[in-house]
Amino acid sequence: MNPFRLLGIDNLSKEYAYTDDPVLGHTSAKRSAEKWIKTTCGYCSVGCGMEVGVRDNKAVAVRGWEGHPVSFGKLCPKGLSEHHTLSAPNRAEYPLLRKNGKLERVSWAEAIDAMVTHFRASQFENGKESMGVISTGQLLTEEFYTLGKLVQLGFGTPNYDGNTTLCMASAVSGYKLTFGSDGPPGNYEDLRTADFVLLIGANIADNHPILVQHLGANEHKFLVVVDPRVTKTAMLADLHLPIKPRGDIALLNALAHVILRDGLANNAYIEAHTSGLAELKAHLEKYTPEFAAGICGLKPQQIVDLAHRYAKSNSAFVAWTMGVNHSTQGAETVNVINNLALLTGHIGKRGSAPFSITGQCNAMGSRETSYTSCPPGYRKFESAEDREALARLWNVDANRLPTKRGFAYPDIINAAVTGEIKSLWIIATNPVVSYPNQAQLRAAFANLDFLVVQDGYHPNPTSELADLVLPAAVWGEKEGVYTNSERRVGKANPAVTPPGEAKSDFDIFLAIADALGCRQELFPNWTSPADAFNEIKKVTKGRLCDYSGMTYEAIETHGGLQWPFPEGANPTEPSRLYADGNFPNKDGRARLIPVHWEPFPDQPGKGFPFILNTGRTVEHWHTRTKTKEVALLERMSPNAWLEMNPEDARRLGLRSHEAVSLVSRRGKVHNIELRLTEIIAPGQLFMPFHFVETNVNEVTQDAFDPISREPNYKQCAVRVERSSNKGTS
Amino acid sequence: MSAAELPLLGRPDLLSIVPASARVALTPSRLPEPGEQYRFHFNVEKCIGCKCCVVACNEQNGNPAEINWRRVGEIEGGVFPLAQRWHLSMGCNHCVEPSCMLGCPVEAYSKDPLTGIVDHNPDTCIGCQYCTWNCSYGVPQFNPERGVVGKCDMCHSRLTAGAQPACVNACPSGAIAIEIVDVAAWRLSPENGNAPGLPSVTDSLSTTRITMPERAAELFNAISRVDSERVQPEHAHASLVFLLVLIQMAAGAMGTIAAAGSSAAWLAAGIAIIALAAAPMHLGRPIHAHRAWRGWKTSWLSREVLAFGLFAQASVAAAWFGTPITAAAACAAGLLGIYCSARIYTVPARPAWNSWLTLADFYLTAFTLGPTLLLALGMIATPIPSLLGLAAQFVLTIYRRRYFEISDVAERRSTARLLDNQLRPGFIMRLTLTIAAAIAIPNFPIAAFAFALAAEAMGRALFFQSVVGKSAASAFLTPGGKAA
Repeated sequence: MNPFRLLGIDNLSKEYAYTDDPVLGHTSAKRSAEKWIKTTCGYCSVGCGMEVGVRDNKAVAVRGWEGHPVSFGKLCPKGLSEHHTLSAPNRAEYPLLRKNGKLERVSWAEAIDAMVTHFRASQFENGKESMGVISTGQLLTEEFYTLGKLVQLGFGTPNYDGNTTLCMASAVSGYKLTFGSDGPPGNYEDLRTADFVLLIGANIADNHPILVQHLGANEHKFLVVVDPRVTKTAMLADLHLPIKPRGDIALLNALAHVILRDGLANNAYIEAHTSGLAELKAHLEKYTPEFAAGICGLKPQQIVDLAHRYAKSNSAFVAWTMGVNHSTQGAETVNVINNLALLTGHIGKRGSAPFSITGQCNAMGSRETSYTSCPPGYRKFESAEDREALARLWNVDANRLPTKRGFAYPDIINAAVTGEIKSLWIIATNPVVSYPNQAQLRAAFANLDFLVVQDGYHPNPTSELADLVLPAAVWGEKEGVYTNSERRVGKANPAVTPPGEAKSDFDIFLAIADALGCRQELFPNWTSPADAFNEIKKVTKGRLCDYSGMTYEAIETHGGLQWPFPEGANPTEPSRLYADGNFPNKDGRARLIPVHWEPFPDQPGKGFPFILNTGRTVEHWHTRTKTKEVALLERMSPNAWLEMNPEDARRLGLRSHEAVSLVSRRGKVHNIELRLTEIIAPGQLFMPFHFVETNVNEVTQDAFDPISREPNYKQCAVRVERSSNKGTS
Repeated sequence: MSAAELPLLGRPDLLSIVPASARVALTPSRLPEPGEQYRFHFNVEKCIGCKCCVVACNEQNGNPAEINWRRVGEIEGGVFPLAQRWHLSMGCNHCVEPSCMLGCPVEAYSKDPLTGIVDHNPDTCIGCQYCTWNCSYGVPQFNPERGVVGKCDMCHSRLTAGAQPACVNACPSGAIAIEIVDVAAWRLSPENGNAPGLPSVTDSLSTTRITMPERAAELFNAISRVDSERVQPEHAHASLVFLLVLIQMAAGAMGTIAAAGSSAAWLAAGIAIIALAAAPMHLGRPIHAHRAWRGWKTSWLSREVLAFGLFAQASVAAAWFGTPITAAAACAAGLLGIYCSARIYTVPARPAWNSWLTLADFYLTAFTLGPTLLLALGMIATPIPSLLGLAAQFVLTIYRRRYFEISDVAERRSTARLLDNQLRPGFIMRLTLTIAAAIAIPNFPIAAFAFALAAEAMGRALFFQSVVGKSAASAFLTPGGKAA
């Protein structure tokens, strides 16, 4: 250490100096930037506008984009420190190839050659479909679009999905079944204007904090939060309904029952725009408030009151996130939410929508263009017309286009276990933390011939297992667009150059296409994401997710543009789907879908008495690959914890801060810090999923929604034991 | 400067999401007038616990992750499903009677006459960290990288330039605001500065106004901080243990020398000088130790520096003259110094220190070690004072733990809990060494002295380690790592 500092002559006043910055005002000189780059946040789907300050090719600060229509100048704690993710010490900088068991640095040429050679050889030997691809919700839309064509037409395997299936696939499936298409109908303005807001399974105060200000700006709303836990969001509510885990379908069905029974339905709307009322009505007979109350743990009168309040409001907005989606009945739960909106006509108008708040920054973009759960432009695999339209646009033979969806994410993993999938390409996701029931994932990985991990961060728990690591540029280093939850396409811009030899995913995809020999055919003369964007405009023209009137410049000027945005659309008018009551189903009507409540699969019982719920904390993003490297976020939330009601703890003789283990029928996780709190119901537990060190997904269940293939993360049966090495007393 | 010169102050946030009708200025539209000052207002109801303010503050001030001038604590009450958990975002409270400032030995703190903001000057600061003990809210934090303390200054320079403080600006729900307070009125009724999980507003007349949710009233007594089960030992401060034990021994030895009519004052003088030489080691900026007397008007630390300086000089004089009278005078200076030392620690923010027990402990160390040292060196013959001292220390040590255990002050009970758990080995060791010293005294006076010295050093280390300071409620998880 510097002796001047030790003696105290120097107190680092230079390093800690302040400056009067022309943009930021009086602030730490460390943040003084030479230029500011406008962009969209790369964490979650809220889609906040921000500016990144750059000095000497280093991102030194961020600030909220004043007047941005989503975030109004505010950012969450992750956004406020996002520039630190760019210079994290664990950034992947060079391609690494496993040689004699060790990952060694190789050139890009060798890396791409090794990848294509291995995949091709494996496909030749085991069939084209033996190659699996698991992507993400973190790429730019242009990259998703490029990847989709590369995988489906270049590699010729349909077994390609995103981690978005672990996230909002249920919303996608639910929307498709009810309305005939994906696409959240409402927007954030609805949060600001609705008379009635119901948040079900959505803890936005922790997970989408910047949305809370939209609710806060709505002074006349009545806010109901349905959540088994007294979350930060529940504490904002006018009414919190502490529903029993997976009581949601029973509750929602009973609301529909009361609406029909008490004459609260909007019969004119139902008549004009829906189908299936008779079947639904018959089906709902048994879902009386009394019946539902027994299942969901609420009082019959609460259900009746809620139904009346919802139906009688001039505008009513229902939003959900993972509490609904992470379920073996996720898609059906979405159907039931949609039923309510259709029965009352609370859709397609200001303040009214059944609204899925998405997870990742560009989960929506992947839904629009990634060619995973549907062909680009919200098309259907099964539709010959759709395939022909795409083939024409792409100048390829329509027979090359897959006629049905390949394996979804969990099915790719299961197929690896059975040996159907032999090689796997993972892009910007970290299943070693996020996949439910890690034992099954390990079994899958053990069977692979070749695993490629393309990520901005290495080592991460998944990339450590790879045979080939491709270093990717991340948010802040590349150009393109993200779509947020309200269908707003926002521009992401590069602020700095990627570290080492890392390349944008777009450039990596083109390089692979080159090596495969399909670049000129699939991506003729493409050099930049703008080329992909221009093709996306053509591919989405006339579709629900219409980009055709957008330009990069207009997107940037307006802080994002909401689709559908055909040429001549108004850039500042908040956009809603189905305002005309015309739905993308063939008959133009939305379906009323009868759904039965079922208990969740892994019921508590002997040996496993607790119901475990998993979720997030505001400081961390997903598997913590990025936020672990932001020192302040990591300091504020350094480890996982397990929430338990004090009553249960008394019975078990456990104290707060004690180290405990969770045991399920599938696995164990040790050394979790116990937190005794009344925000969790007796008999239930909650644990955040961000931490690989204490990975809750060792115990979660790999049970999946048969429709959406989304995992049932939110309920499983566990017991709690005192860990052998004791925590603090 | 007048309000008219600050046209930007309190400008409405034109692009805010908040409807114009509901827009409240988050910063005042004028400067405080005489008798007024700026203060924070924190609205618990609006806070969603997102911690944007913490991140914005660290970015604004370029602080490392370990230093948080603004922190978010959690409080909880009620029973499921009617449980409530609220957050307290706290920076500096810019107190009317800032204990940090009053204790500062080098006048690094100042209270801005115009705004009432309590400013800290890192160039004046010598890193003694006394302010970190003095503040009931744990606001000033020592930055080891810099060797100085730092704290929230309400973004003074932003505020007076018409910009919002970083925390105010970052808060997505408008929970943090700056407002003007009439100091005299606040002095009369500062109740709104109290909240569950916070030390009493009266400790130093904190100015932060806190708005609790209406429904908090029925739960008020049931709401408590969520971090109360987490108690960690503090730093042992080896250099302070060294200073205190040796200087107390020196004073005790000087007294024994005077009483015995000995001419060995040089011995006590030597020990005092060694002890004082070690004192600057505790500072973040040792080279500036010479400034430490400057705050003598209000700071017990400055007074301790002056008194022990006097003790050292009187000791040298006593050694020179070698008369019992000069030794007695030097001893008096030493005892004065010990009194000043004890007063440093008897601060409201540190309940386990804040009683007569600290004074008794310090004087008993002098009374035990002084005679025992001379006994070990064969300069006196009677073991009686040593045995009395050891017996008294033994009783005091046990009494103090019990006194804390049954206290109605939570921090004192936490101290007892530390002594019973994490610090139990040290506590047992301290008692055992005291007994061992007493047993050894008749036949092995040198060993007895070694045991007694070790016992007192251990006692002083426990004094530092076992203190649980008052603080604003913090979060449940241990910042920066697993509670091990």
